[in-house]
Amino acid sequence: MSGRHVAFQEGAAQAFDADYVVAGSGAGGAAAAITLARAGFRVALVEAGPWRDPEDYPSSMYGTMRDMFADWGQLVAMGNPLGKDAIIPIVQAKLVGGTPIINSAIVVRTPGDVLADWRERFGLGDVFNEASIGAKQDQIERELSVTETAGAGMGPSGAAMLKALIDRGAEGHAIHRNVRAACEGAMQCLQGCKRRNKRTANFLWIPELQNERGGIVLSCAPVDRVLLENGQAVGVTGRWQHPQTRQKGATFTVRAKRGVLVAASATGSAPLLQRSGIRLPALGQGWRAHPGAGVVGVYPETMDMHKGASQAVASLQYRESIGIKMEHLSLPMELFAARVGGAGQTLMHKLEDYRHCAMWVNAVRADAVGTVKQNWLGGVSVTYQPTKKDLERLRTGSKMIAEMHFSQGAYKVLPGVFGMKSEIGPDEVHLFDTAPLDNRCYTWVLSHLFGGCNLGKDPQTSVVAPDLHVRGVRKLHVVDAAAIPTTLGVNPQHTIMAMAMVAAERLVGA
Amino acid sequence: MLHLTAWTLGRVFPSTAALPGLDAIDTKPFIRQLAREAPFTIRATLWASVLLFNLTPLLTLGIPLPAFLLSPARVDAHAQKLSGSNIYLLRQIVLMLKTIGGLAWGAMPELRAKFEMPAYPEDSGRWRQS
Repeated sequence: MSGRHVAFQEGAAQAFDADYVVAGSGAGGAAAAITLARAGFRVALVEAGPWRDPEDYPSSMYGTMRDMFADWGQLVAMGNPLGKDAIIPIVQAKLVGGTPIINSAIVVRTPGDVLADWRERFGLGDVFNEASIGAKQDQIERELSVTETAGAGMGPSGAAMLKALIDRGAEGHAIHRNVRAACEGAMQCLQGCKRRNKRTANFLWIPELQNERGGIVLSCAPVDRVLLENGQAVGVTGRWQHPQTRQKGATFTVRAKRGVLVAASATGSAPLLQRSGIRLPALGQGWRAHPGAGVVGVYPETMDMHKGASQAVASLQYRESIGIKMEHLSLPMELFAARVGGAGQTLMHKLEDYRHCAMWVNAVRADAVGTVKQNWLGGVSVTYQPTKKDLERLRTGSKMIAEMHFSQGAYKVLPGVFGMKSEIGPDEVHLFDTAPLDNRCYTWVLSHLFGGCNLGKDPQTSVVAPDLHVRGVRKLHVVDAAAIPTTLGVNPQHTIMAMAMVAAERLVGA
Repeated sequence: MLHLTAWTLGRVFPSTAALPGLDAIDTKPFIRQLAREAPFTIRATLWASVLLFNLTPLLTLGIPLPAFLLSPARVDAHAQKLSGSNIYLLRQIVLMLKTIGGLAWGAMPELRAKFEMPAYPEDSGRWRQS
C-alpha cells in the first residue's frame, strides 16, 4: 500500500486526510508515526525541513549548517546578555528524520532512577516504566542496529579517553550507537553519515511509512498551528517553505480523524501549541538541558580527531555524585577553530596543533530551568542559563578531564575558560578550582533539550497529563522531548523514541 | 562590505609559516555565497561583527583609527586583544568571525591536505522533490 511524499508546493492550497497527523519527524515523531502506521492507521507525517537521502548529505560544515541545521544553527538560549548571562548555541536539525541525523548516534537506556523519579513525582509510572520503555528500547535497538563502538569507530581520541578512565579507576565504556558494525570511523556523524552506517528514520522508518503503510509525508512543511474545533484537535495547517530560498509556498491542511501528535522538538512543540491558541500556565515552562563544554588536550603524538566516530567513549561514573556525564567529542576543523581561544596569529599557532588535539567534554545534568516561547518576530525565544551549582559541576568535571589528559601524556591543556590561562601545564590543573563561576566565561553548547510541554499530574506545572493528552484539549498529544519533565543525565534519543512508541501504542489500544 | 569582510576574516585567520590562512585565498566567493544563502540574522550579525572589529582599535590599542588602516602587526594585536576583552559582547564579535571564517578556513583544500585530510566534495544541496 503505497502512500505519498509531497515536498515544497506553490499555488493553490492543498488538503490531506489521515487518521493521525504527526507534526515533526525527529526521534519522537518518526517513532510515533511508524508505530501508528504499523498498527494499520493512515498516518500523515509533517516535517518543517526537507527530506535528504544520505548520498545528498553535505560533507562540509558550511553545507551542514545550510542543509541540515535548524535555521543555520542560529537559535540560541539567552538570558540578559547585557547583564551577566551568556549566549548559548542550541544544536538542532531541521530535516526529515530530525536531529538524529546530525548527532553522534548515542543510544543509552533510560536510567532506572529517572523512571522512579517520574513515577513518584509526576505520576507517570502506569505509562512509562521499566517494562514499557524497556520493551520499546529492545525493539529500537534491533531495528536501528545498535552496536557497541569498536574498531575504526573508536579513533585515537576515544581510545585515549577510555584508557584515561580505566587508569583513573572510573567507569568508562565504548558508546552504543545506532550504527552498523561497518562504521569506518570517517568522523562524518555530525554531517550525517553518507555511508548509511548511522541508521536513521529518514531511510528506514519513514520510507516504510510511505511505501509500505500508505502514509503521507509532507516535507518542507512547517506547521503553523494545530486546528482546534470544539475543544478537540482535528488537524494541522501551515505553509510550505522552500528549503533554499525560504520562500513561502502554498498553504497545506491535514485533517486527522483520530488525533494530532506534536513532536516539533523541545524548542518547537510549546511554541506550536502557543500559536494554536492553547493557554496553559505551564506551557513553555520547565525547559531544561544538558549544557556541555569541552577541555582540549594537546599531545606529542597525533590524535587525529578526524578519525573515528564523533563520540565513541563515555563515562557515567560521576552522573549521580557530581551530576556530569563525560564524553569524548571530536570536532571537525571548522568547529574546532571557533572553540579554540584567541584570534589572528595566536589562534593560528594553536590550530597548527589540530592533529595533536583531543577534546573531551562534560555534559552537565543541570539544575537550571528555563522557558521557551513564541516571540513577537515569529521566531522562538529560549531563556535559559546554567546555575552557579551547574557551573561548579562543570568546573569540577573540567578539572578531572584536564587530569585525564595529562595522565595520557598531553603536554598542555586548553581549558577554554575565559579568565584562566589559555594553556595550562600538568602543574596548573588546580587553576580550575578558582575558575570564574560566570556563564560568559565558558563555551557552552546545548544539545540535549527537554520540556516546555512537560508531563505530570499537577495541572499548574504540567501541560500533558499522565494519560498523554494535552490538558483541556481532546485528541492532542505531545510525543517528543518537549514532554520530558526532567533531565536524564544521559543522551535522550533512546528515551524520546521509546516514550513516543509507548504513547503511540496506547493510542492504538485506546 | 564584501572587501572589508574578506579582509577581516583574513586577519582573524592569517597565514603562518606552517598553515595557510584565509588571507591566502580569495574568500569573496564564499562570502557572496553566504550572503546569498544565509538567513538575514546571520548576515546582519556577520556584517555588524565586521564593522565592530574595524571600529574598535580605540578600545583595544588606544588608536583612533579603523583596523583596516593599521599595520599588520597592530591588526593582529587588536584581534588578539578583542578576543580577550573583558567585555563579553566584544568577545562575541570575534567568536562570530571565527565561526563564519572557520567554515571557509576548515574547508580549504590546501589546509586539509596539510592535515592529511581529504578535500571536501561539493555539497549537492539536493533534497527529495517528490
